[in-house]
Amino acid sequence: MPADAPRLHFVSDEIGRGAGPGPRHGGESNVKLRDNDHVVGYVFAAPFILGFLIFTLYPIFSSLYYSFTDYNLFESPRWVGFDNFEKMFTADDKYWKSVSVTLTYVLASVPFRLAFALAVAMMLNKAFTGIGLYRSAYYLPSLIGGSVAVSIMWTQVFGDHGLVNSALALIGIHTDTSWIGNPSTALWTLIALSVWQFGSSMLIFLAGLKNIPNSYFEAASVDGANAIHRFFKITLPLLSPIILFNLIMQTISAFMTFTPAYIISRGEGGPLDNTLLYSLYLYRRAFQFYEMGYASAMAWVMLLVIAVIALVLFKTSKYWVHYEAKGER
Amino acid sequence: MKKAVASFLTAALLLAACGGGGGSSSSSTDNQGTGSPGSGTASSGSDKAPVTLRVAWWGGQSRHDYTLKVIELYKQKNPHVQIETEYASFDDYWKKLAPQAAANGLPDVFQMDYSYLSQYGGRGQLEDLGPYTKNGTINVQDINENTLSGGRIDGKLLAMNLGSNALGPTVDPQILQDAGITLKQDWTFADLDDIGAKLKAKGKLIASDLRHDVYFPYYLRSQGQHMYAADGTSLGYTDDKYFIDYYTMYQRWYDNGYFLPLDKLAQKKGTPEDDEMVLGNAAISFSWSNQYILAASTAKRPLDIVPLAQWNQNKPLFLKPSMFFSIAKSSKVKEEAAKFIDFFINDIDANKIIMGERGVPVSGKVKEALKPLLTPDQVKVFDYVSWVEQNSSQIDPPNPVGAVEVDKLLKDIAEQILYKKLTVEQGAAKFRQEANAILAKNKK
Repeated sequence: MPADAPRLHFVSDEIGRGAGPGPRHGGESNVKLRDNDHVVGYVFAAPFILGFLIFTLYPIFSSLYYSFTDYNLFESPRWVGFDNFEKMFTADDKYWKSVSVTLTYVLASVPFRLAFALAVAMMLNKAFTGIGLYRSAYYLPSLIGGSVAVSIMWTQVFGDHGLVNSALALIGIHTDTSWIGNPSTALWTLIALSVWQFGSSMLIFLAGLKNIPNSYFEAASVDGANAIHRFFKITLPLLSPIILFNLIMQTISAFMTFTPAYIISRGEGGPLDNTLLYSLYLYRRAFQFYEMGYASAMAWVMLLVIAVIALVLFKTSKYWVHYEAKGER
Repeated sequence: MKKAVASFLTAALLLAACGGGGGSSSSSTDNQGTGSPGSGTASSGSDKAPVTLRVAWWGGQSRHDYTLKVIELYKQKNPHVQIETEYASFDDYWKKLAPQAAANGLPDVFQMDYSYLSQYGGRGQLEDLGPYTKNGTINVQDINENTLSGGRIDGKLLAMNLGSNALGPTVDPQILQDAGITLKQDWTFADLDDIGAKLKAKGKLIASDLRHDVYFPYYLRSQGQHMYAADGTSLGYTDDKYFIDYYTMYQRWYDNGYFLPLDKLAQKKGTPEDDEMVLGNAAISFSWSNQYILAASTAKRPLDIVPLAQWNQNKPLFLKPSMFFSIAKSSKVKEEAAKFIDFFINDIDANKIIMGERGVPVSGKVKEALKPLLTPDQVKVFDYVSWVEQNSSQIDPPNPVGAVEVDKLLKDIAEQILYKKLTVEQGAAKFRQEANAILAKNKK
């Protein structure tokens, strides 16, 4: 148990104070304090521990159980073995549609978002007046990005009488299609929403950029490297551990995207199922068709897929991530 | 991340603790003499113990407004009752209700629809209202047995009908007249070709759409067929001809631009406020008779209600309980919930506020009392519903379990046909096979 360390510290602290005024039987009070220390610690940690056990660990394992059952919420679950998985992989066209929509979404939104975040971070990594204001302003969309309000705003922006069509009209293109209702553009409005929420990656990139010593750039400049060289030879390699971190975090969160797709398509995943993200289809199976067993099975497949992808990213990282102190890896 | 989760959970626990404290405050102040002066005296005023009812319904803004007034009236007459309300549009309402059912947290009184009755009632979520009608808590003496029976499943009264209803399109006579259209008394869906062309010449639509889960079954009835087999284990028809006939027509209307493009339809909320006919862009809104009043009051111009196309082929029209109130089996205040329902269907003052917006009142006494007060619009609806009573046949039994999935399937396939991803023939076969596969799960 790592809990030894703080206890030791407290004990020695007590001995130290024991030398001060006030009579005290060192041994006895040590024992007491040691216990108190544990109790207080657990009491403070209790909300989290209880919350984790009740709201996270228990649901996780019960969903594993449900994934092998037929469970409609109202009647008790019935064990069906691997039926749900079999149906999912062999007899459910919609499932594969949702997989392909989700993969498109992840493969498009994550690189765009990271590239955008890095570009903005580079711009904000300069010193000029009002830089603080700009940094906050660009971070703002991320603070409110996942919310319902923004998704509703998005339906206005890309709707048939929305901001985008008004802007297009200004440059002479008159259209009244609803970008959200059009099967070929609907998913891209979701991707645009995701890219727009680049703030948290940007912040991390910015911190990474600040850690690159200026002297490298100066030396390279003296040797005649231009801005493009400096970016690819210095910035990118030194930033690659940060990129890896951002890539993994953003990929995971992209796979789990739910709210924007739910709000924008009014829970339907339409038009023509072109915004039927995996999580949305899972939600439909669970809460519209009451097939909790099937939905749980879907959730577990998703978990495994995300785990595998994260593992692959880690494994391949040694080919492109640059660590300055090579020995420490 | 972990910190965020922990602090969220802490906050949630704290909230839960506060909530629990609120509910049990009367007992805790009894034990502790030193409780704060305010909380100790709260319940001593009235002789009845305070009760909190949760009431939920779907609808548009004006239904929300007047229902809140009815609730206000109930609270005046019953000061010990507190009422918490939850309301949404139809589609959102059901998406919200399902997780509540799963969590054993259904509202005490909630609006129920015929299409969801077996889903909820068949799975033991709804309280049998029979005992409450027998002991007089819910007075049904002025209600016809035929009117009540729509809420029965296996002999149990699981839902109380709030009003009678029939399919009846709302039309804008001005737009029809401007386009030189006179609707024949015995018009059919085939007439929509001509009507649509004339309206298009004036830049108007026929309507936003024809809801697939309502009008395809209606068309089947006009062909002497039914959407679902009586035992609910398969579709009611075996010949793809009906599907092909109906959706060939539908596709033609859609391709000709008589209906709203799907990309715009997808953004509609289904409230009267954004109905294409109400907005003045279409001649017809294919809806239920009770929706006429809301449409008329939202549109603020003269509208009319007409018999639905096809009505005199095999009597496809039917009287439908427009909506019900049900009591959740999990409710802890069923007696009070039943009293509220009784008030809603029998109280004259309450119904003077409701004015038949939830369908023609089920109680004969209420109907009589309202007659002199009706506006011309309301008279139209009452008259139309009694006309339908004479020109209709028995309603199909409540949709079987799995029907929600079948309805969704029908909508998906219809959209694929309209977007030309499937031919009508392919769609017909695909729908029949997949729907039958879903319904086959009901075989015992």
